[in-house]
Amino acid sequence: MLTNPLTNPLTKNIRGPENVATDIARYEDNGGYRGWRKALQLAPEEIVKRVQDGGLRGRGGAGFNTGLKWSFVPRGEDSPSVKYVVCNADEMEPGTFKDRLLMERDPHLLIEGMAIAAYAIEARTAYIFIRGEYALAAARLELAIAEAKEAGLLGSNILGGDFSLEVHLHRSAGNYICGEETALLNALEGRRAIPRAKPPFPQVSGLWGKPTVVNNVETFCNVPHLIEMGADWYRGLGRGEDAGSKLFGVSGKVKNPGTWELPMGTPIREIIEEHAGGMQDGLKLKGFLPGGGSTDFLGPQHLDLPMDYDAISKAGSRMGTGTIIVLDDHTCPVGLVLNLTQFFARESCGWCTPCRDGLPWVVKILQRIENGEGLPEDLDLLREQAARMGPGNTFCALAPGAAEPIQSALKLFEQDFIDHITKGCCPYL
Amino acid sequence: MPTITIDGEQYQVDDDQNLLSACLAQGINLPYFCWHPAMGSVGACRQCAVVEYRDAEDQRGRLVMGCMTPVRDGGIYSVNAENAREFRGGIIEDLMTNHPHDCPVCEEGGECHLQDMTEMTGHTNRRYRGSKRTHRNQYLGPFINHEMNRCIACYRCTRFYRDYAGGDDLQPLGRNNQVYFGRQRDGMLENGFSGNLVEVCPTGVFTDKTFSEHFVRKWDLQSAPSICEHCAVGCNTAPGAREAGNGQDALLRRVVNLYNRDINGYFLCDRGRFGYDYVNSDARIKKVLAARGDEMIGSTAGAGDRVHGEVHPREGVQKFAEILAAVQRGQRRLIGIGSTRSSLENNFALRQLVGGGNFYSGLSARDLELLHLVDRVQRDDRIHSPSTPDIENADAILILGEDLDNTAPRISLAVRQAARNRQKQQAKKLKIPLWQDASVRQLRGEHSPVFFAGTEISGLADVANATLFDAPGQIALFADAIAQLIQGSDAAAMDLAADRRELAMRTADTLLAAKNPLIISGCSSRYGDLIRGAGKVATAIANRTATNCALYLACPEVNSLGLAQFFSPGRGHLEQLTQELHGKERDPLTLVVLENDLYRRADPQTVERILSCADEVILLDSLLNSTVKRADLIFPAAATAESQGSYINSNGQTQRFYAVYEGGGYIQESWRWLADAASFCEQITADLSVIAAWQHSMDLSEAVAAEFPTFEALEKVGPDEDYRIDGLKVARQGHRYSGRTAVRAKAEVAEFPPHLDPDAPMAFSMEGIQSPGATPLSANIWSPGWNSNQSIFKFQQGIGGARKGAKGPFKIRRQSQSIPDWTISAAEPEQDEEQLITLPIYRMFGSDELSASAAAIASVIEVPFALINRADAERLGVQPSQLWRLHTDGNSYSLRMHVSDTQPPGTLGVPCGLPGLEAVSSQLPGRAQLKPLPATETGETP
Repeated sequence: MLTNPLTNPLTKNIRGPENVATDIARYEDNGGYRGWRKALQLAPEEIVKRVQDGGLRGRGGAGFNTGLKWSFVPRGEDSPSVKYVVCNADEMEPGTFKDRLLMERDPHLLIEGMAIAAYAIEARTAYIFIRGEYALAAARLELAIAEAKEAGLLGSNILGGDFSLEVHLHRSAGNYICGEETALLNALEGRRAIPRAKPPFPQVSGLWGKPTVVNNVETFCNVPHLIEMGADWYRGLGRGEDAGSKLFGVSGKVKNPGTWELPMGTPIREIIEEHAGGMQDGLKLKGFLPGGGSTDFLGPQHLDLPMDYDAISKAGSRMGTGTIIVLDDHTCPVGLVLNLTQFFARESCGWCTPCRDGLPWVVKILQRIENGEGLPEDLDLLREQAARMGPGNTFCALAPGAAEPIQSALKLFEQDFIDHITKGCCPYL
Repeated sequence: MPTITIDGEQYQVDDDQNLLSACLAQGINLPYFCWHPAMGSVGACRQCAVVEYRDAEDQRGRLVMGCMTPVRDGGIYSVNAENAREFRGGIIEDLMTNHPHDCPVCEEGGECHLQDMTEMTGHTNRRYRGSKRTHRNQYLGPFINHEMNRCIACYRCTRFYRDYAGGDDLQPLGRNNQVYFGRQRDGMLENGFSGNLVEVCPTGVFTDKTFSEHFVRKWDLQSAPSICEHCAVGCNTAPGAREAGNGQDALLRRVVNLYNRDINGYFLCDRGRFGYDYVNSDARIKKVLAARGDEMIGSTAGAGDRVHGEVHPREGVQKFAEILAAVQRGQRRLIGIGSTRSSLENNFALRQLVGGGNFYSGLSARDLELLHLVDRVQRDDRIHSPSTPDIENADAILILGEDLDNTAPRISLAVRQAARNRQKQQAKKLKIPLWQDASVRQLRGEHSPVFFAGTEISGLADVANATLFDAPGQIALFADAIAQLIQGSDAAAMDLAADRRELAMRTADTLLAAKNPLIISGCSSRYGDLIRGAGKVATAIANRTATNCALYLACPEVNSLGLAQFFSPGRGHLEQLTQELHGKERDPLTLVVLENDLYRRADPQTVERILSCADEVILLDSLLNSTVKRADLIFPAAATAESQGSYINSNGQTQRFYAVYEGGGYIQESWRWLADAASFCEQITADLSVIAAWQHSMDLSEAVAAEFPTFEALEKVGPDEDYRIDGLKVARQGHRYSGRTAVRAKAEVAEFPPHLDPDAPMAFSMEGIQSPGATPLSANIWSPGWNSNQSIFKFQQGIGGARKGAKGPFKIRRQSQSIPDWTISAAEPEQDEEQLITLPIYRMFGSDELSASAAAIASVIEVPFALINRADAERLGVQPSQLWRLHTDGNSYSLRMHVSDTQPPGTLGVPCGLPGLEAVSSQLPGRAQLKPLPATETGETP
């Protein structure tokens, strides 16, 4: 793990596998809460501007400019007096474990980032909506919140000034859809976790109808050093088009699966071959999902692409959470897609038809193909189903995301599907 | 008005609507599920996909959901584009993966929106090879069947039940394709509008359990426009009837909503939907009955109770005619008692027969005075009686003493919608279209102000911003204080306790600041000053704002306001009748009672005094009741669904109902029995000849209008029996009606000619006009490809507009007259330790006389009970659910005690009209003593 604070601001406190920076004193010794102290000297509008200028894009998957998102929150005399900041810590994207690392190992960084965001939009209450299974992260965050409060960095009249902020931790009952920010807000309010209709967007009417900013854990963690070091410095961290650094991860049959903080725009080949140590002996890379389970497969020909939002989009996939799932030549792609689709079908909230009824059907077709009971016409049916779940056809992004590995696998690994059907069994067994 | 292009055709469409409703309004068939004209869009089913093109150059376009897309001036769309059609077919295919293929045994079949939409999309080939998910169904009470396997998860049920009707015991449970719409556990649905689920559900998950008891397909029902007879709101219904097929009498099989924008819109309450079954009940009178000479011996019989035997109608009419002849000869007096639950025509007929001076309302002085007060207040030009859409538009509401959920349920539903107006304002500010239902509802914040002051609030408690519970006298003082505050005087407010004064001031300020303030009160508290107070508040607002103020006054029964018009104030009540009967030496007396159970109108002693003065009692009615026991001659009266006539609703609106079916036995309209008796007289006098000459219902309608200019609209409400469309009558049966030649074949192979309708230009057959678009007289709402009730939009002037061809509303014509400056003073006597003040409370099931005999409703009516304040309960040692005895003047009743936190101290809430408590009802509010039941009697239910 690289630990240079100037190139690895997100993980500078995470040294080696055992090290945990949960102690506020150590966090502050290593430069913690400097961004927060500095932010309190600035006008809230200025912070929004810096974050916008820094080019920080949402790390949850959509890649929307964070500062721009904050700027939609109404300000001034006529605006509602109550506003909220909410951290989306419901990390459930298949193959993704970056937020967990940040929260378990450096909880104060998240709190600092949320505090700055709250100050920027003039919110007095913040919630961390954390996946229920993240018990360790939750415990450490609780402790960190208490420490920060004790130190006068949260709570009433922070550092003797006018600003006050309460941060609450909410452990989710568990649902992938809670990663969708409006479903998260419904769940936080104790309602069914189904996405809300937009408009109104949460920035205008979010939690309990009040202006609300929802950001991913990693997004908030980028804010302290962006504020401390400035927008120009932050932009300079990236190697390509996009600004800053990012946690990239690799899972699959590589020699050294894990997660690393690297500059935005790091080539995929570098991540897989240098950081993840390349494929395990005897295996070849057949394809990979660049940004978690809900992104399109890319093939070996895409290994030299930089991990930038737009570059990956152009290649026909999404950078998503930046956590790569590698498919090797000894693993059945149909089985992989089936596994993913089972997850998405189970996690569908049940609101709209293509997702609720389409995904289980896809699961049944894939099961049949995997079991050697597939029919040639099943491939068209799968393509049709994937198209029906396309963007705009469904209520939220869950089904379009679920369709991405299906539709791309049908393109990249079509022969595997055909082999299953013609041989009447899974050729990988 | 935006112009849009759909598949190359240009259309002018209304502003502020979505593409789906714009398409439907233009007659373009676009399938949908989750969208509902009254509930807007949520984008769940994805069925209404169309292609939207960026501009004329754009050839590909993109798929959008019609219901979620606002119409854009100049917008170019395609419904028929190949990819849109394929997508819609695909959605149906997805929905069908789990929908059972059980249409032949599904009661929705033939009027199923899912069937229609499936046909519309052209999806016919099943490619899904998997098994279907199955659910366990729940027991939801005696009204609704639950068959969850059929669910396509459109979320309409819970959106209606929770969002629209305020229920909280039905919800979506679970997730993904296992999502389940039900209750936390089996049990009766608690919300009083649950029956609408039957119509809201696009398929057969929720079906009408009472209909299941005697089910036939929609296409086998004959129907006609009717009016719900179970309260005074006047909701329009389309009852359906059909021959029994087994030689038994034809049955009334169900009631569904008949859209009337101004009154019920798309929804009915459960009393109205399920109350119809009384006409099929065992207590139905279908034959002419005459008292036999023999004395009744038995423990349950009271003195004077008669034993009846069936007589031939001719014999009964002959007897009646002999009495009339004696009257003509001056040897007999004839007195008639009318009815608030019978038509204007029947009441008028009786009045003609007995003469205006001998015609009585059958109401106590207090009840009749309340109706005259309502009438008096409504005559004030500063007041207008609001339609249901007007109520839904109100932005501040004061409810005085009316537990709307139980006394005028459909109005309660409208108030619930009005409570959202503040949210809608907020949506407008954020430029969110109001049809974006989920977007609008997620805007949190306070409800629009709804203030309630009265004895009990059942369904609206969750939307009321402030509640004040007290006896009607105190509520009237509170109303008076508000009226005075609005006029600028705080004199009356200063007499109120501080918190009450503060509430009065807040209410006054809120009402004055509102754009559409609405006051609601009515007769249910049985307290005149409350109506006066409501009138004062409304006129005070009108004076200050210089526009008239909406005031809804709820009347007790379907034709209460109509009957009251026959009497001048102070005349025609039972007290006057008692006085009249006892005053002087007299000739033998015959009392003709029209569709009225006198034992519900006055205490048993008073009724006894009246009946004992009569030498004969002739009763015309539809159900056996307490008055029957004292009648010498009983004629079976047609129920609403079996007859034609007119009712005046609480708003003073005249509405006509038509015979849905012929009924069974010897039933006919009460006026026909009177006319028959008149024509049987050997010597027919001029007066009698008028009556004997009545042939058609319209003859009476016209006669009423001629004699009472108030009812002049009666001639315009509907056409007479000679009206024809293209030379044809309107068919009551649809063109798919089956079994015409077979249904009676068991008894007789010859086909009988259909019964001729002397009253309406309608046929009891398939012959004639069958299109609901041709005339609002057609109640078979159907359109090609649209077999379900969703097809109503085809017959509206724009989505949610008035029914095509509908005329009116026809208000009764009244001389305008300002209300006087009534003085409202505290009139209630001091409380005393021994006695409690009994106050009337109401229940949706049980308080109404007729619906209480419908089997399903009868099964859920509570046992006689009373509400007692917690403090009083503690003082008297009353335990919840304990039986106590209520002693009124000379009578006593066993009641199960319910402890309430809102029942005003020192009072007892006694359910009006509840079976077992009919006799005490007329004495509410009153005073009574509560005593513990002797130990020997506490064993079981009273």
